[in-house]
Order: sequence, then C-alpha cells, then structure tokens
Amino acid sequence: MDIVVRAVGLTRRYKMGAGFVDALRGVDLTIAREEFVALVGPSGSGKSTVLNLIGGLDRPTSGQVWINGTELGGSDERTLTRHRRQHVGFVFQSFNLLPRLTAEENVALPLMFSGVPEKERRAQARALLERVGLGPRLAHRPTQLSSGEQQRVAIARALVGQPALLLADEPTGNLDTAIGAEIMSLLRELNQEEGLTLLVVTHDPEVAAFADRTVRLRDGQVEL
Amino acid sequence: MTLKDLAKTSFGNLGRHKVRTALSAVGVTVGILTIVTMLSLGVGVQREIVRVFKSAGLETIRVHPATEERTAFNQFAEPRRTVLITTDLVEEIRARDDVVKVVPQVHMPWSLNVSLKIDEELSPVSVGEASWGVGEPFSQPSELVAGEGLSNDAQGEIVVSTSALNSLGYEGQAADDLIGQEVALVLKAPRGDTQTFPLRLVGVIDVKYGFDGPYFDANVGAADSLALKAWWYNDPDILEHAGYDALIVKAASLNDAIQIIEEFEEQGFEVSSLRTMLDTLNKSMVILQTMLGSVGGLALFVASIGIANTMVMSVYERTREIGILKAIGASPGDIRVLFMAEAALIGMLGGVVGAIGGWLLGLGLNEGILAYLRWQDITMTGTFFVVTGWLVALALAFATVVGLLAGLYPAARAARLDPLEALRYE
Repeated sequence: MDIVVRAVGLTRRYKMGAGFVDALRGVDLTIAREEFVALVGPSGSGKSTVLNLIGGLDRPTSGQVWINGTELGGSDERTLTRHRRQHVGFVFQSFNLLPRLTAEENVALPLMFSGVPEKERRAQARALLERVGLGPRLAHRPTQLSSGEQQRVAIARALVGQPALLLADEPTGNLDTAIGAEIMSLLRELNQEEGLTLLVVTHDPEVAAFADRTVRLRDGQVEL
Repeated sequence: MTLKDLAKTSFGNLGRHKVRTALSAVGVTVGILTIVTMLSLGVGVQREIVRVFKSAGLETIRVHPATEERTAFNQFAEPRRTVLITTDLVEEIRARDDVVKVVPQVHMPWSLNVSLKIDEELSPVSVGEASWGVGEPFSQPSELVAGEGLSNDAQGEIVVSTSALNSLGYEGQAADDLIGQEVALVLKAPRGDTQTFPLRLVGVIDVKYGFDGPYFDANVGAADSLALKAWWYNDPDILEHAGYDALIVKAASLNDAIQIIEEFEEQGFEVSSLRTMLDTLNKSMVILQTMLGSVGGLALFVASIGIANTMVMSVYERTREIGILKAIGASPGDIRVLFMAEAALIGMLGGVVGAIGGWLLGLGLNEGILAYLRWQDITMTGTFFVVTGWLVALALAFATVVGLLAGLYPAARAARLDPLEALRYE
C-alpha cells in the first residue's frame, strides 16, 4: 500500500491561562494514496488540530508526521513553508479567497510563490477553473460569485500546486445542504477521476458519507 | 517571486488605499522637496559665485597694511598700523614683470564734510576712489555717460555722478558741457577751517547701486584723496607714517598671483584675493548646504515614522490575508519582501513628486528672484536654483531608502505572524 500520510503519537498541548489544554493525546493516522478519509467528531475533539499538524500550519508537541515517506521533521519555518507549497492544498470553511483578486488570479496566486512564470500560472489556473466548472467565471471577483462558486475557486486554488494531499476543514460549513452536496460530489469526482488523496474534517455525517473511510475523534484520541 | 510580480502586487495593494498611500507619501514629498530645493540653491549659488569670480579675474589681489592686534586697551581705537604700504613699495611692485596693474587706494574718513562746487554753487557729495577698472566682483561698474574715466595716476581730475550734477541743476546737455571745466571740492573741517581743492571735471558717470557699496558721487585719484585726507586730519605727513590704505595688484597670471600673495604675506601684510575669498565661500556654501539639507532630513525622518505607522496599520488589517498567503505557500521571506516593497514604493512615490516639485519650485524662484531684482532696478543675470541629474537620482534613492527603513519593522512583524492565528483573525 502506497502511504501518503503517516502520523504517529501526535499530541498537541496549548497553553491556556495558567494551565494547559491537551487538544490531542496521541493520535495515529495513516492515509493511503487516492484514499478519501473523513475525520469526524464533536467540536473540540481535535479534528482541526490534526488537519493543521498534517498541513504544516501548526507543530505537534510530540509525535511525528511523515508525508510521502519524509518526516516533517523538527519543523523549522522553511521546511513547513516548502511542505505547504509542495505537498498539501487547503480548503477552508470560509473559503479564504483574496477579495480584490479575480477567480483566475486567486487560483494562480500560490504558483507566484513557487516562481512559476505568469503566463503559465494563468494557463494552469484557467484549466483548473474549467475543471471545477467555472470556465465562464474567470474574471469574476469573489464578491461576484455565489458561495458554492467561491468554494469551487478555493478547491481549484488548493489543487494548482499539484499537491499529494488535499486538506479540507468543514468545506461545506458555510454552504446550504444542496450546494454542500454539490461540493462534496466535486471532491468525490476529483478523488475518483484524478486519484486525489483527501482528508476532510467535518461534524456532518452526510458529508462523511462521501468518504471511503471515517476516522472518529473524541477528546483528542481516535475512537476505535 | 519575481521582481515583476513583486512590483505588480505592491502597486495593486497600494492602489487599494489610494488616499492613505498619498497621505503617507506627502511627508516624503515635503522632505525631498526641501532637500532638492535647498541643494539646488546651493549648487546654483556656488556655480554663480565661481562664474562671477572667474569673470572678475582671480588674478586680482588686495593688500592691506598689517595692524596691531586688538586688545582690551585699544579695541575702540583705530588700530595702529605695523607694516605700511609705502610709496617705495608701490614703485617696487609697479616695476615687476609679473604685475600688470598697481592701484594704491586711499579710504576717505566717513566723517568727511565735503561739497562739490560749480560756479559758486555748493552741494554735499560723497567722495572716494573709483572701484571700476580693477575687477570687483558683484559690482556693476558705474557707467561713463560723458567724458573719460580717471587714469591710474590721475591728479587734479574728478569724475562726478549725474545725480550730483542734477542736484546742482545740471542735466542732460548742460551736464555734458561741464566736461573739461574747473570745479572744486570744498572741505569744511570741524576745527572751523574751510579749504577749496580745484579740480578739472573729466567725466560724468551714472552710478548704479547694487549689493556691493559704497558708491561715491565723485571719484578722485589716490594723490588727490591723500591731499584731502591730509588736510582733513591736519597731518601733512600722513603718507609717511600711515601709508596707503590698500593696494590693488593685478598679476599677469593666476600662478603669479599666488606667488605674489605669498610674498606679501611673508612681509606681514594682510592679503585678500578673490581666490582666498572663493575658497572661504565654497567652504561656507558646503556648511550652508548641509544645514539646509538637514531641515529636509528632519522632514524625512518624520515622514518615515508616518510610513511605518501606515504599514503597521496595514499589517493589522491584512492579518487574515497574511495567514492565507502563508497557508498557500508564501514563506516569511515572501511576506517580508511584499511589505518592504510597499513601504519603499510609498517612499519612492513621495520622492518622485518631491523631486519634480523641487525642480519646478526652483524654476519658479529663479524667475521670481530675477523679476524682483529687475523691479529693484538691479541688473543681474544668473540661475540660482540648479537641479542636476545626480541630485534627482540621489533624492529618489534617498526617498526609497527612507521608505525601506520605515518598512523594516512592520514587514518583520508581518513575516513573524503565526499562520494559524492569522487565519483565525477577524
């Protein structure tokens, strides 16, 4: 089995006031290539923390994360930046698009930081926006798009760096049920047709139903 | 990130807040405008001085007798002369090959009570040596309107201004007709004596008043000046024990002038030449420029605080955006460079406006000053504000550096932001 993510003994302790809060207490997680995993659990169970640790937005208090067989390491800022740039793509609940950029520019933006020439950036962005069904919406700004369309732009942006793994944190949280289902169908389709590996954090069983496998978290531990 | 991406992104970001960008840049504009105007004034005036001095001739030397040093006991008295300009010295200098012209000068006492007398009519005048013909910088030689000027060793001759003749009722042709006539200077001493000195009127001048007085209504040669002075002080031997008041020597070349200056100084005379004046002036111009430049520097310092404030605000406002950029792969270095570029750009924009403004202001002031001088009846040409290419380049570079420095702290703050916290920021 081709392993994309292997996390072993992840703990994360946050300082809070005078004391500490243990968000994670030893989480093990393995995701195979082309697998679609849903990470579910009640709020405060540590779902998002796992996602952030795998995505390199946060550092574990202890434990290790391997991506494609390479350890994410003691994790200096440079390694984490490269990891975010090359290995993962993020999709957020609140889309997090830059409001003054067009859909095309938003999708092309990550490639600017990897030094891809502008012409090529735009071509790749256009192709991806076509793929998520926004071909005619290239020049629209986020405010001119519906929320479903905005999330599609965000998905295209997450994919533009050709990441090994797509990380989605409550991707349907700001969408109504029908649109949410559309977005999940799109993700499922990308998983089936392009072999995209997916980790989706959600509290919604309807969303989890799209995944191959569901991992449940409770109080910072995986429920067996 | 390429430089092009950087420029595009920074312009885009600044373009979002045009008013804020413009307001932050105004400080830089004021600073650069001041610096460019002041430095261009420095450059212009310095050029003008050098030009005037060159045309006046750097070969001219002015020699003064050495005087006793002033102490608490004699500070209010006329200082006693220790090394004199004697007639022998004048003859000796006049005989030299490397000297073109020697003019001994006698300064009239300021209290001299003297009147011009024509046909029994009297009118008070000021009398002194002619300043023209020996190369005086900044002064307009009085224009000869009739007759001739005084020769170098004129004796018994006088040149009178049109205004002095006017006050005696001679105008136009009547004044011209006076050439060659016997007139007189009448001295009235405080001791009660009156003495008449008959002189022949050889020329009429039109005195132009400028920056560099004194201008006299009547000019007489050194010998006659001496006679007037000797009578005034009741001191027939004044030349023997006081010597001439000054000696103007025109050397054959600049090198000769330097040689002659050294010789005079060895003998203890006080020597001033345009050359030494020029050196001193150049030095004071540098000091002046530095001082004026500092005023602009202060404005720029204040401006840099303004830019820093704008950028700190901007980092706060864009915290979430910074989080997004970090999540999609921007390194701390990318973020830092983005904010530094914006700060530098504000500085540069302010600098461009300031440099253009300073240049235009200089042009305007050039015209304004000349117009004012014309209105004051002072004929003077010249450019006072000169904006050179290097001055503009320097100003722009300086403005950009000011922006960059102002951006250092805000950019470092932006780069250090934790991506997760930044993403949660509302």
